[in-house]
Amino acid sequence: MGTKKVLTGNYAAAEAAALCRPDLVAAYPITPQSSVVEHIAEMVNNGDLDAAMVQVESEHSAMSVVQGAAAGGGRVFTATSAQGLALMFEPYFRMSTLRLPMVMAIATREMTSPETVWSGQQDAISVRDAGWIQVFCESNQEIIDMVIQGYMIAEDQRVMIPVNVCYDGFYSSHLTEGIDLPTQEEVDQFLPPMAPDNHPVLDPNNPFALDPMTAGPLLMKYRKNHLEAMHRALDVIDEVDAKFAKAFGRSYGGAIEEYRCDDADIVLVTIGGMSGTGKDAVDIAREKGIKVGLIKLRFIRPFPAERIAKALSGKKAFCVIDRSVCFGWSQGPMYMETKAALADTDSKFCHFSAIGGLGGADISLQEMLDTIDYLEANKNEPGEKETRWFLKD
Amino acid sequence: MSYIDVLREAKDQVTPGMSACQGCGGELILRKALQIAGENTIIGIPPGCMAGAGVVGWNYANGLKIPVHIPLLDNSAAFFSGLSQMYQRKGRKDTNIVVLAGDGATADCGFQSLSAAAERGEKLLYICYDNEGYMNTGYQRSSTTTKGSRTSTTPIGSVVKGKTQQQKYVPLIIAMHNVEFCATASPSNMADFVAKVQKGLAASKNGFAYLHVFSPCPTGWGYAPDQGIEVARRAVKANMFPLWEMDRGEFKLNDENRKPITIAEFVKGIGKFKALSDEDIAAIQAMVDHRFEMLKRLAGK
Repeated sequence: MGTKKVLTGNYAAAEAAALCRPDLVAAYPITPQSSVVEHIAEMVNNGDLDAAMVQVESEHSAMSVVQGAAAGGGRVFTATSAQGLALMFEPYFRMSTLRLPMVMAIATREMTSPETVWSGQQDAISVRDAGWIQVFCESNQEIIDMVIQGYMIAEDQRVMIPVNVCYDGFYSSHLTEGIDLPTQEEVDQFLPPMAPDNHPVLDPNNPFALDPMTAGPLLMKYRKNHLEAMHRALDVIDEVDAKFAKAFGRSYGGAIEEYRCDDADIVLVTIGGMSGTGKDAVDIAREKGIKVGLIKLRFIRPFPAERIAKALSGKKAFCVIDRSVCFGWSQGPMYMETKAALADTDSKFCHFSAIGGLGGADISLQEMLDTIDYLEANKNEPGEKETRWFLKD
Repeated sequence: MSYIDVLREAKDQVTPGMSACQGCGGELILRKALQIAGENTIIGIPPGCMAGAGVVGWNYANGLKIPVHIPLLDNSAAFFSGLSQMYQRKGRKDTNIVVLAGDGATADCGFQSLSAAAERGEKLLYICYDNEGYMNTGYQRSSTTTKGSRTSTTPIGSVVKGKTQQQKYVPLIIAMHNVEFCATASPSNMADFVAKVQKGLAASKNGFAYLHVFSPCPTGWGYAPDQGIEVARRAVKANMFPLWEMDRGEFKLNDENRKPITIAEFVKGIGKFKALSDEDIAAIQAMVDHRFEMLKRLAGK
């Protein structure tokens, strides 16, 4: 059994990263992520964590330093948000296409403009096609558990893709929750050190060119391999969830979590911290006799299309609530992808996109309840309804 | 051992087939630096002439006999900081961690990560081969391009003739980062070059070492390929490229150059300077004289 503690999401991420015994951490402060690296620096400077801590001058260098260390055979960690993620995009894309495993926490934040430092998922969502695995967490416990699971998934030979553990800035990063912090012995037993031959390492004893100039036909094979590994990761995610449940007694259901969906007619699809509010709304609506369930999108890369299609099969109506937007469509990105997942099913749903919680705005229980009522009222009218904005007066 | 014996006995680390232009200064610098560094070396070569010439490999093949990685144009110092940190951690502190980057990757977009790695004292040797522009992509100007130079982004127009700004003096900026070793070198002064690569490699075991090397470019600058060493020699003689070193804070001028030649003599016969006006030449001369006086004062002369 671990230790009962009360931690913010950021401290949870830092403690979990430390439990995974990283060789090197490089990071640059940015709101709302800063206390992740502050806490890691504290652990290193107090001798509680034996890791190289590199205080870089930008997120671009943070990702570059960990990339170099990973190419030298190290297990590495960093964390960022919003503008920092945008600045590191160049080495970020390269990390996944070099197929170097690592875990990076993202305390998600709205993208500027207008100037903002508050919550939103536009940052992580905007880089969902940069080749990383991305998981979104609902609770601080889930942050801890997914950082630990993240290394196991990333370093699996069938995968070899870095993992983003995303959680809502401020709502999760700065608010405390009671958590169960695994002990070092428990984590050591679950997550062995990375094998020295996990991936090719830059070494004079084995001279090779890492990432030489590569012609298109070969590059396309690399991309195809990457996509196939991403698809294989869906099985690995389930395996690791089961293995984790056996070791720690906590399971999250793999790539998605289904909540009271079995007999539901209508379904809310959520992502990240809003899922807690959504589950409360489902419970309240159920008491009124509405047969409603909830699907929490956990992993969005790889996108669990088959599981979503299966979970929505036989339902009458659904709404996907996004904390980000999809420019070019007047809809949310996870709604677009959920629709794509249903393209080959025969079902005729009533469905629509809802967008809320941008720039730190709350997604309230009332907005969830109103959305459930709207779904219930329209569930027998198949087709797409207008996008619902959770605007505040 | 004499520098001639050092170079005679050391193995070439470049594989056959590298495709640099005839008379390339960068290739000479790469080959000589790697001969001295030897087999226990990992090198980073960001996009630029040397990467374009194939030494970073092609498909499955390596272009060098030692491990090489082509980092991003702007993150060489950061990537190799991380690699160096891992080598320190693994207890393999004898391995040389070397970056060889052009002036674009050093003075322009890579400058931020370079400055930060120097400030942190990362244990690596960073060599800049300064050919004063983006030669691999057709000679666009960089911040180290000499004033008045004809480049593809500072053409000789009817109104504006060549680059209008003076060059940025990167080596002195790096020296001000409290680095372990910082020096300038030129392929025209090979004994000095060899000694500085050796010192730089030794210094990189204790902290950050930086070498800024003059890299004449026949293709971009417009002179005959067999004139490269002569052009480099004239640059040193004209104080266009003074030779100095700073070893743990001790500043030393390697060549006091008591009988300098003029900038007018230096630019003669170099195509990129053909449209220099008398005012341009005077401005470069004034900058060079001022800079050399400052270097002399730093060296206590």
